[in-house]
Amino acid sequence: MTTFLFVLLAGLAIGSAIAMVVQRNPLYSAISLIGVFIALAGLYLTLAAPFLAAIQIIVYAGAIMVLVVFVIMLLNVEEEEHKPLRMGYLTVIAILLAAILFGEAGFILYFMGNSPLEPLNPNAVGNASNVGLTASIGTGLFTTYLLPFEITSVLLLMAIVGAMTLARRVGLLRPTDLVVPGSQVLTRQTLDPKAIGDATEVESSTTAEAARVLGLEGVPHRREE
Amino acid sequence: MPDVSLSWYLALSAVLFTIGVAGVIIKRNAISMFMCIELMLNAVNLTFVAFSSYFRDVSGQLFVFIVMTVAAAEAAVGLGIILAVFRNRESLDVDDSSVLKN
Repeated sequence: MTTFLFVLLAGLAIGSAIAMVVQRNPLYSAISLIGVFIALAGLYLTLAAPFLAAIQIIVYAGAIMVLVVFVIMLLNVEEEEHKPLRMGYLTVIAILLAAILFGEAGFILYFMGNSPLEPLNPNAVGNASNVGLTASIGTGLFTTYLLPFEITSVLLLMAIVGAMTLARRVGLLRPTDLVVPGSQVLTRQTLDPKAIGDATEVESSTTAEAARVLGLEGVPHRREE
Repeated sequence: MPDVSLSWYLALSAVLFTIGVAGVIIKRNAISMFMCIELMLNAVNLTFVAFSSYFRDVSGQLFVFIVMTVAAAEAAVGLGIILAVFRNRESLDVDDSSVLKN
C-alpha cells in the first residue's frame, strides 16, 4: 500500500514538474506547480509529517502560488514565443553529460539500497514516534531552535519592507502635498522647481491649468521621478 | 513488491531538483524561472523530510519550516523585483534585462 502511494504521488510530482517546464504559458506552469506541491504534501504524509503536509498546502499551494498567479494576471504575461536555442551546438555535450549524471545517480542509489542502514519502516523502532506532530515541532522550534525562529521573523520584516519599497510607485505627489478627493490639487512646489517648501494649494483639473492659475506658464516642469 | 526505502525518496528529490535546474536554464520568462526555483526548494525539502523521518529526528522538519519561510520572503521580494523590471522594460524576458544599466 505504501509502495502504491509512493509510486502514485511520485509519478504525479514528476509528471507535473515536467509539464511545468514544458508549458509555454506561465499560468499553466503555475497550475502544474500546484500539482507538484500537492503531490509533495501527500509524500510528507507517507513520511509521517502531517504538520508539514498541512503547511505545504497552506503556505505553498495557498499563499505563494496565489501571489504568483496574481502577478501573472496583473502583468498579463503572454506566451513565450519560439526562439532559436542560444547555444544549440552544445546539445550533444548536454545529452552526454546528462547520461553521465544519470549513470552516477543510479550507481549511488543502487549501492545505497544495499546499505546496512535500517529500512524506512515506522514500526522498526517499536515505540510510537511523535516526530512530525505539531507538538514536537513546536517544542523544537521554541527551545533548541529559538534563535533561528527569531531570525526568521526579522527576515520576514525585511521582506515586507523590501517588497513595499520595490513595488511602490514613485509619483508626482509627495507627503507634504494636500489632496482633496474628487479634484486634482497641486501645490506650488510641485509645479515650480524653485518654490521648494511652498505648499500653497492650487485646485485644477490638469497640471497645465494649475500652472496657468499660478502664473507659472513657461516654467519647465519638474521631471517625474 | 519491495518496501519503500529512503533511497526512493532521495531519487525522487534528485529528479525534481534536476527538472528545476533544467527549467531555470531553459526558461526565458522571469516568472517561470522563479517557479522553477520554488520547485528546487521543494525538492530539497523532500530530502529533509525523508531524512528526518528516517533518523526519527525533528530537526529536519524544522529546517523545512524555515526553508518555507525563506521561500515566502523570496516570493514577496522576487515578485516585487519582477514588477519593477516589468514597469521599466515592458517585458519579462530575462534576455531583455541582461544589463543592469537603465
